[in-house]
Amino acid sequence: MIDFKNLPQEELFGQGNVGCKGCGAAIAGRQAMKVLGERTIITIPASCMATLGGNNTKTTWKMPFYHTLFECAPAVSSGIRAALEIQGIKDVNVVSWAGDAGSADIGFQSLTGAAERQEHMIHVLYDNEMYMNTGGQTGSQTPLFAITSNGSLGKPVHKKNMLAIMEAHGIDYVASANIAYPEDLMAKFKKASTKKGFSYIHILAPCHRGWGIKPEETIEISRKATESGLWELFEVDEGKRTRTYEPSFSPVADYLKSQGRFKNLTTEQIAAYQKSVNSYYGRGE
Amino acid sequence: MVAKNLPTVPSGDPGALAKAANGAIQRINRPEITDPARVNPIVLLYCPDGALSLDEKGIAISYKLCKGCGICAKESEGIAMVPEYTGPKGVF
Amino acid sequence: MNKILITGSEAAALGAKLAKIEVLAYYPITPAFPAMERLSKYIDDEELNCKFIRVESDHSALAAVLGASLAGARSYTVTNSQGLLLMTEVAYHAAGLRQPIVMGVANRALSAPHSRFPEQGDAVSQGASGWIQLFCENNQDVLDNTIQAFRIAEKLRNPVMVNYEGYIQSHTLEEVFAPDPEKVTAFLPLNRQPALDLNNPRGVNTVTSPEFYPDYKYQQNEAMVQALTLIPSVAQEYSQEFGAKSCGLVDGYRLEDAEHAIVAMGSIVSTARLFVDEMRKQGKKIGLLKVKTWRPFPAQAILEYLQKVHYVTVLDKNIVFGVGGALATDIKAAAYGQGNQVINGVILGLGGGKCGIEEIQEAVEHTESSEADKNRSEWIGL
Repeated sequence: MIDFKNLPQEELFGQGNVGCKGCGAAIAGRQAMKVLGERTIITIPASCMATLGGNNTKTTWKMPFYHTLFECAPAVSSGIRAALEIQGIKDVNVVSWAGDAGSADIGFQSLTGAAERQEHMIHVLYDNEMYMNTGGQTGSQTPLFAITSNGSLGKPVHKKNMLAIMEAHGIDYVASANIAYPEDLMAKFKKASTKKGFSYIHILAPCHRGWGIKPEETIEISRKATESGLWELFEVDEGKRTRTYEPSFSPVADYLKSQGRFKNLTTEQIAAYQKSVNSYYGRGE
Repeated sequence: MVAKNLPTVPSGDPGALAKAANGAIQRINRPEITDPARVNPIVLLYCPDGALSLDEKGIAISYKLCKGCGICAKESEGIAMVPEYTGPKGVF
Repeated sequence: MNKILITGSEAAALGAKLAKIEVLAYYPITPAFPAMERLSKYIDDEELNCKFIRVESDHSALAAVLGASLAGARSYTVTNSQGLLLMTEVAYHAAGLRQPIVMGVANRALSAPHSRFPEQGDAVSQGASGWIQLFCENNQDVLDNTIQAFRIAEKLRNPVMVNYEGYIQSHTLEEVFAPDPEKVTAFLPLNRQPALDLNNPRGVNTVTSPEFYPDYKYQQNEAMVQALTLIPSVAQEYSQEFGAKSCGLVDGYRLEDAEHAIVAMGSIVSTARLFVDEMRKQGKKIGLLKVKTWRPFPAQAILEYLQKVHYVTVLDKNIVFGVGGALATDIKAAAYGQGNQVINGVILGLGGGKCGIEEIQEAVEHTESSEADKNRSEWIGL
C-alpha cells in the first residue's frame, strides 16, 4: 500500500502544465517525480511532455529540465552524467524521458547507444502509442489495427516490442509500467534509481485524444490494458524476470471496444487479439 | 533596438507555470468533494495537474490548477463533477 | 615554448589537452580520426582527466557534448564533412543555447560524389549556424586557435569551430611551438556556468512564442558582433603571453603598397604566401590577406586592407551552388558601394582538386584580364 501521508508533498512537475486535461503523460511524470526527487536532471526530446512543461519564461519543472532535439535525449543525458562525474557531483538521477517516437523510432539510435554503453541513467518511454504531439500519426508503437490520423484503415502490422529489444541489451533494469498502477510504477522507479548502469522503464500512458476516449477514462482504459493481459506489468532486474502484477484477464474486447481508435475492428480481429493474449499467458486458445 | 531582458540561455523559471495557472479556462465541470471520508487518496497520483493535496482534513482541490478532466471523480467515491456554468439555459 | 614536430590532428588534440577539456565525445570519421585517437590515448595514459563518451553517431557526439556543456563541463568534439552535416541540427541548437563548445573540423569534401579529400564545403555549410568559425593556415594555427577558441567561447558563451584541412593539415607534420601547459591553464581559467544546475534549477529551451523568439535571436547575433572585438583582443593577449604571433580576424601580408590582393582562408594561404613572395621578386605589387575569422564575418577589417588595391582575387575551396565561393560572396557584399576594386572570385581545390602555385597564378591573371566576367566565379583546375 502507498503511504500517502509520507508521500512527498512537493510537486516537482505537473502544476500549471499546459497539456490537455486528463493527460496520461503528465500523470506518468507526476508519479515518477514523487520517487525521483529534486536531485534529478531530466531531458525530454520533442514530444507533448517536452512542450507541456515549459512556456516562454515559465516552466512547471522545479528541477533542471532540458527540452532536447528529437533524436538524442539519451546522448544528451550521457553528457550530463559525464559532466556531473567530472565535477564530483553525486546522488543525482539522470533521466531521459521520451515518447514512443523519441524512444522507439527517431530516437532509437541514441537510446540503443546509451544502453549499450551502460550509461548510469534511466530512460523512460512514455507510450501513448502514436505521434500525439503532431496530431496522432502511426508509429512503431501503434498497436495492430489501430486507426490514427494518417492511417484511417488501421495499422496493418504489429507493435514493435521495445521491452524485448531493451532487455536484449543486457542492461541493469527493464520494466513495464502503467499509470493506473502507481504503486507498481513508483516501486520500479525506486529500483531503477539505485542501479549503477542503464535502466529502461516503459510506461503505458493513454492519450484520450488519440485513443478516442473521454478524458476522465484515461486511468480506467489504461487499467483495462493491463487487466486484459495486453499490457503485462513486469520487470527484468539484472536478468531476473518477474511479473509484478497478476491480471484478472478481463476480455480484450472490453478494452478494444471502449476506444475510438479500434472502432473498426471486426469480430475476427478482436478474436485474434484474444487468441494471442491467451496463448502468451498459457491460457489455451 | 533594445531587446527584452532575457536569460542568455533560453530558459524558464522553475515552477512559474504553477503560479500562472488558470484551470478554469479549460473546465466545463469541476470536481467537488461530496463525502471526504470516502475519497480514495490514490487520486493524488491520478491527477495530471497536481491539483489535489492532502491536509489534516483530507483531500483538498486547487481550482487554480484543476482543468476539470474528471479522473478523480471517476476513480474515487466521494467526489462528484458539477457543471461550472449554471446560468440561464434554453436559448437556441 | 617548446618546438615539436606534429600533425594538424596532433595539434588539435594537444590544444584540447592543454585546455584541460573535461568531457569529450566523437564518432570516428576520416580524416578527423587521428585527433580523436590521440585524445583518447591522453585519457587512457592519464595525461588528461576527461570523461570520454563513446557515442554511436556524430549527431549523438555533439548532443552528448552539448549535454555536458549545459551541465557545466568544458567540452570538446572533432569531426568533418558528413559527420558535421549529421551534427547540423545539434550545431544550430548548441548555438541557440549559447553553449561554449569547441569543435575541431578537419575539413573534407561533401558527398556526392563520394570524396575523402580536403575542401571547405563542410564548414561553409554551417555558415548560418551561429558558430564562430576560425580557419587555420598551418599546424601552429591549429594549436593556437584551439586554445584561443575556449577563451572566446567561454567569454561570449557561444560555440566555436576550429577548421583545419583534412590531410593537408590533419596528416602533415610541421614544426609547432607548444606553449607551456601552466601558462595555458592560467590563460583559460575555468568559470563554470551550468544551465542545468541542481542549485539553481531552470527549464532549458522552453516553447518560445513570437513575443520572445526574435529577442533571443537578437541577443545571439549581438554575441557574434561582440566577437569581432573579442577575437582580436584574445589573439593579442595570446601573442603577448606566449610570444608567438597570432592574428585575430585577418592578417595582411605585403599589402602596404599592393595593387593586387589575394584573399583566402585555410591552408591555401600558405601556398598564396609563396606565390606572393615569388611575384614580389619579379616586381609585381601583390599582397595577401589571410582570413582567420570567417564567422562572424569581419567585413570592416577586410575592407581596411583592400581600400587601396585595384584587384582582389578571392580563392574559395568551396562552392555555394548558383552563387559562387562563400568568401568571395561575403567580400563582394561587404565591398558594395565602398570602392572601385575589381573583385574576382575563384573556385579551386574542390574535393582535393588542384590548388597550387600555378592555379593561383591563373586566378590572378584572370582577375587582371579584361575578359573576366566578375559577376560569376571562375573555376580553375578543372
